[in-house]
Amino acid sequence: MVALNITGLTADWMAAKWLLWIGLYVALGICVPWALTRAWANQHQSTMQPHLIKQLFQHGELGLVGLMLAISVVWDLQKSQYLSYTIALGSVFLAMCGIMSGSVWVESYCRRSSGIRFTPERAWRDSRSLAFLVFSLAVVTEILLDRFAKVAAQ
Amino acid sequence: MSTSAAAPALAKPELAKEARRTVAIRLADPAIMLANVSLLFGLLLVLFPTSFPRIILENWQNARLTPIMILFSVSLSLGLYLRVAHRRAAKPGLLAAACLGSVPVIVLAVLNFVLQATIAHTFSGDLSNVPARVDEEILAHTFFALIAAIFAPFLIIRVAQQFRRTDS
Repeated sequence: MVALNITGLTADWMAAKWLLWIGLYVALGICVPWALTRAWANQHQSTMQPHLIKQLFQHGELGLVGLMLAISVVWDLQKSQYLSYTIALGSVFLAMCGIMSGSVWVESYCRRSSGIRFTPERAWRDSRSLAFLVFSLAVVTEILLDRFAKVAAQ
Repeated sequence: MSTSAAAPALAKPELAKEARRTVAIRLADPAIMLANVSLLFGLLLVLFPTSFPRIILENWQNARLTPIMILFSVSLSLGLYLRVAHRRAAKPGLLAAACLGSVPVIVLAVLNFVLQATIAHTFSGDLSNVPARVDEEILAHTFFALIAAIFAPFLIIRVAQQFRRTDS
C-alpha cells in the first residue's frame, strides 16, 4: 500500500517536472546573473546598486533569455513523437517568437551603437513582454509534450 | 504679444495633425495578452486534465471549434488594437483593421486543413493507441493555431510599418 502511494507520488512529481525545468531557466537566466551582479558590487564596494532586475536587463537582455528558452523548447519538440505537421507548426511559431524576443536586444544594441535615440524603459518593457510570451508558450508546450509522452508510452 | 498669440494658432494644426496620426503597433503590445491566453490554456490543462481536452474535442467533432476560435481571436485582436490606439491617442488604420479581421480567419482555415492531414496521417500509420494520439494532436493544434491566429496579424502589421518607414 505504501509502495503504491510512493509510486503515485513519483508519477505526480514526474508530471510536474516541466515546472522544475522552467524554474531552472528563471533561476539560471535571471536570478543568478542578478545575484552575481550584487555580489560583484559588494566585493568591489562599487556605487552601482542593481537592486532591481530592471536595471540589470535594461538593454533588452531578457530577449536573449527568451531566445535561448525558445531554442530549447524547439529542440524538445523535435525529439517528441508528435507528427511532423505538429512539430513543424510548433517549431516555426516558437522560433518566430524567440527571434522577435532576441531582436529587442539587437535593436537596442544597434540604437546605442549608432547613437540613434535609445530608451532603456522601452527596451526593458519590450524584452520583458516578449520573454514572458516565450516563457508562457514554453510552459504550455512542455505540458503538451508531457501529456503526449504518456499517451505514446501506453 | 502678437508672437504669443500666434503660437497657439500655429500649435493647433500641429496638434490636429498629431491627433490624426495612425497608431503604430509594436510586437510587445500583443505579447502580454498572448502570454495570458497561453497561461490560461496551460492552467486549464493542468487543473482539468480530462474535462478541458474533452470540451475541445467535442467542439472539434461538432465542427464548432474553428468558428469559436475565429470569433475569439478576431475579437481579441481587434479589442487589443483599439485599446492600443486609444492609449496612444492615435487613429486606428483601416488596412490594419482589415488585416486583423482577415488574417486570423485565413490562418485558422489553413491550419484546420493541416490538422485534417495530420489526423489522416495518424490513422494511416502503424502506431499504438491511435485515438488517444489523435486527441493529443488536436489539443496541440488548437493551442498553436489559436496563438498563431492572434499573433500573425500583429506581425504582418509590424512588418508593413517597417517597410513604410523605410520607403518614406
